[in-house]
Formats: sequence, C-alpha cells, structure tokens
Amino acid sequence: MASEQAPRNEPRQQLNTGPLAQVTRWMESLNETQYAYLLLTPALVLLTVIALYPLLDTLRMSLFANSLTGGLGDFTGITNYIEIMTGQRTASLPSPFLPEAITVDALFNSALIVTLIFTVVSVFFETIIGFGQALVLNQDFAGRRWVRVAIIIPWAVPIVIQGMIFFLLFTPGIGLFIGAENNPTLLQEWGIFGQTPLANTTESTLIVIIADIWKTTAFMALLILAGLQSVDRNLYDVARVAGASKWQMFKRITLPVVLPSVLVAMLFRTIQAMRVYGVIEVVAGCNTVPSLSCLVITTFNQNLFGSSAAIAFMTAAIIGIMTGVYIIGYAREEV
Amino acid sequence: MATDEHNTGEIERGPFERWVAAAITNPERAYRSMFWVVTIFFIFTTLFPFYWLLVLALTPEARLYDAGLVPAGFNPENFIRVFETIPFHVYMFNSLVLATVTTVIVLLLASLAGYVFGRLDFPGKSVMMLLILAISYFPPAAFFLPLWDLFTGQVVPGLRLYNTPGAMVLPFSALFLPLSIFVLTTFYGQIPDGLEDAARVEGTTRLGALFRVIVPLSAPGVATAGVLTFIAVYNEFFFSFLMNNGQPENWAPIVGGLLQLQRSGQFESTFSVMAAGSIIAVLPVAILVVIAQEKIVSGLTAGALKE
Repeated sequence: MASEQAPRNEPRQQLNTGPLAQVTRWMESLNETQYAYLLLTPALVLLTVIALYPLLDTLRMSLFANSLTGGLGDFTGITNYIEIMTGQRTASLPSPFLPEAITVDALFNSALIVTLIFTVVSVFFETIIGFGQALVLNQDFAGRRWVRVAIIIPWAVPIVIQGMIFFLLFTPGIGLFIGAENNPTLLQEWGIFGQTPLANTTESTLIVIIADIWKTTAFMALLILAGLQSVDRNLYDVARVAGASKWQMFKRITLPVVLPSVLVAMLFRTIQAMRVYGVIEVVAGCNTVPSLSCLVITTFNQNLFGSSAAIAFMTAAIIGIMTGVYIIGYAREEV
Repeated sequence: MATDEHNTGEIERGPFERWVAAAITNPERAYRSMFWVVTIFFIFTTLFPFYWLLVLALTPEARLYDAGLVPAGFNPENFIRVFETIPFHVYMFNSLVLATVTTVIVLLLASLAGYVFGRLDFPGKSVMMLLILAISYFPPAAFFLPLWDLFTGQVVPGLRLYNTPGAMVLPFSALFLPLSIFVLTTFYGQIPDGLEDAARVEGTTRLGALFRVIVPLSAPGVATAGVLTFIAVYNEFFFSFLMNNGQPENWAPIVGGLLQLQRSGQFESTFSVMAAGSIIAVLPVAILVVIAQEKIVSGLTAGALKE
C-alpha cells in the first residue's frame, strides 16, 4: 500500500523530492486513458500470466506428440486432434473422447457425451427446481430470511464436502440409499441402483448429477428471483380484478418478464457444468465418470501431455463457443 | 330425514375432509397450504444431507451399519479423532489463510479495475471488459498443463511455486477476479462525481480519492465482493487439489485433508471420522452464509446479471 502513503503526506509537506512524490506527480500528469490502463495493469498482468498465456500454450502443446520419456515429443500439427476424434488414440487414452459405439455403456464412457449428459440433465432440473425455489422466496412470509439461508447453504458448501456427502450417502451399508448385501433399500429394489453404484459408470453419473443439482440449484434460484422481483406487482392486482387465475397470471405476467434472466442463468450454469471435475473425483473417481476435465487430468497423469493438451483445448473451444454466443448477445444488449 | 342425513354427514367428516371443503370454498387457503408443503420440501432436501452427516458423525464406528435416520449410539469422540488421525487443524489453517490472502489480493486488484470500469471513460473500455469476461469462462483444465510447467520450474528455472501458497493463490486470484471486478464496478459507478471532485479539490491525489473516498463509501460492495471471493476460494477444488501433493506442510487446504481421510478409509473404517471432518470444515462457510446472506444474494445477482 505504498501508493496510498504518498498522497497522505506529499501535497501538504511540499517535499516533492522523494521517489514516492515523483511517482505521484507522474500519475497526476497522466490523461484519463493512460491512467485507466495504468490501474488496469495489475489485473491484466495476472489474467495474462494465469489464463491467457496458459490457454495459448495449451494450444501450442496440443500440436506436439506424446513422449513417454516425459515432456513433449515432435511437432505433429493437428495429428493429436485427428487421432482423438477418429478414435485411433482411444487405445492409449484412459477413456475415449467420442463414443466407440451407440450403446448406453459406450455413450457414458465417452468423455464428451458423459459431460453433455451431465450438463443437460443437471441444468434442466436445476432450472425447474430453482424456479420453484425462487417462487417460494418471492413470497412475503414470516421466516423468509431463514428459508433463504436454508436454500443458499448448499451453494456455499465446498466441492470436496459436497462430494463427501454423496460418497457417504451411496456407500453400501453405510449410506442411506444403498443397503448391505442382505438388506437392499427401496431404490435398489426398484432397480435404480445396484449393489455398488460408485463403481458403475451410469449409476455414478446419476449420483454426480444429483449432487450437482443439490449444490447449484440455489444459484439458479437467486438469479431467477432477481428476475421475479423486477415484475411490477401492480400488474397482479390488475389481473386479479380482471378475474385472471393464478396460472394465467403466471403465464401472462411472470413468465415473459422472467424468461430473459432464466435464459442467462441457464447459459451461465451450462458453461459452469461443462467443467465438472471435483465432485466426480471425490464421489466416484475420474475413471468411473470420465468428464472432459477428468480426461485432461487422467491423460496428464499418464504423461500423455500432447493428448492431454489437445483434449484441454477442445474442452476450452466447446465452452468458448458457448461463451461467444453469450457475449455476442451481451454486447448486442449493451448497444 | 334430509336434515338428519346432512347432520350425520357433517359429523363423519374428519379434519382432512373439512380442510378440503374449506379449500374448495376458499382457494387462497389451498394455495397457502401448497406453498408451505413446497417450502418444507425444499428446506428438507437442502438441509437433510447435513443432518445425516451429523448422524454418521455421532455414531460409533462399530455400529455404523445400524445407523439410519437417528444415530446408533452417541460418540462425539469422532470429532476428536479427526484431529488425531490427521493434522486437520493445519489443513483448516491453510484453507483459511489461502482464502484470506486471495481475498485481499482480489479486492485490491478489483478495486483498481472496478474504479476504471465504473468511473472512467477511455477507448477500448468495452473490449477490455469483454476480454476479462471471456477469460473467466474458460475451464481451469484449459490452463492446467502450462501452469503446471510454470509452477514446477520448467519455464523459468528456479521459480518453483508447486507446494507453496503461490501456486494456489495466483490461479485463485485470476479465477475469481472477474466476479469482484463486476460487483465493484457496479458499486463504484454509483458514487456521485461531486464527492470525488471535492476530495480532489482538497488536494487528494487520484489514488487517494479512490482509496479514501470511493472505497469507504462503497463499503457494502467491497464486503460483498470479499465474502463471495472468500467462499469461492474456500470451496475451490481444481487447483486446491492439483497444485500441491496433499500434505499439510505443503499448504494443502481442506481438500487434501478430507481426501486423506477418505483414502485412509481403505485400511480402516473411517466413515464417521469423514463425516465429522466434513462438518468441522463446513462450519466457517455456513456461519458466513448466515451472517452475510444479504450480501451473497445481492452480489451473486449483481455479478451474474452484469456478467
């Protein structure tokens, strides 16, 4: 905070000789544009070193072959991408990028497909449940504050603890949902879960989806709630006088106003859900549920740096395209 | 005869049927009850996992298979065993220090950037904002390999941040900086120009005006950004897990501690201890949510709708 010291002393003491005074005087002499970029410099340097440079370097690394001796092999251009997409690389990867066949097992074993399944299903249910929660929080009632705390709290739970909760819930014998061998629970008798769901790809994916819905629905609810609160309440009074039913009021007044914020929230959550990693690592392990981020790390752990970088960059590209759609919409709104 | 039948019918009605009859004549009542059923359902689904963790944590390890909706036995010693099995307090300390340091860095950098975006006009402003926005959406996995090389000293010889706080604080700061920038831009932009001008006329420097006029006047905004950053860092998994070897002396946060408890479960039954550890580790954020819920709600909505 040296820069903060300077203004306090210098102007009054008239000792304009120290280095701090010189820096201060230099800053005062800048025009608005120069000053703006000066203040932005620390943030831009950090983002460049930690995000922009790594992103570009990932692209560079993805153009080199794997090397079993560590480091990168020869420059091979887009060979990594071609071989991963066509399945020629599948034998050496922990899990294939694209499905090898159109069966349930093969689809869930593909990093891309399992990530998409996870994203679509969890965002769908988060939107519906989040809408319900937002409608509840939009009412005036005694204890609203505490209901809101109860609904937000899962959002604030560390990912590792979220994973731990669902790992324990589905551990055979201990967990509430999976009984010991001689004592199956209802969920098992209905055939939804087997004896060891945490070792089964489809069942683990379902568990990870439930865990994600539990944790992040609150985020959706808060964004939708913000939309709900921008609805002009007088409209409801008018509608009531006109004899509209609750459903009509919802469909004709609430929904049109809230829809934009629901769409923003859904896109926002989609981008976040595409990067799922931590909860999988804790609940079932990356080999059981190979999401895109998981596959980046498992290939990295096998020293397949070229493949890992290529998968990482494809993940970034997929999310980048979605972000692009969003930002173009955002920019259009600004204009 | 007719009246008799009517009377007996009235008597046979149970409380539920009477309620249904009242609900038919007065739909508001039905909506009200429906509202409470839904509310209780939401509270139950969000809070039940915590209750169940407590059940596991209080059940003695040997009787875990008997535990259901209530603990089988009562053994608060599990909470002490968390600290006996691994140095859990060190992991907690690491987590809190990492979160605090990151929050300070983020607030400082985001204050400068938020001032620029909220109060200054210059060419390239919207491009810069979009750039920061775009970067914040990329997945951490897309940054991981080069950062690994950088932090293990393969890019700049002698610069080895792996297993130090730097390897986590730097990515955390970059990851959560954009949200704080957007929250603070909103707040700083709302301070009337006259206040800043008055301070400048009094002889305050440009930076002095920012840190002694704008920031204090936006205290609620700064608190919001701080709380959100702190929670986000405390909850982070990716870099917390990958940028250290999980040992407490190497600044591993609670991610490392809880995963170590989970791994030691392969050799001895530690499910109760895992549950107890989770409860201990969730306390700081749970308390923060109760205290600062208004700030969290306003910050998340402002940040996301702006973003």
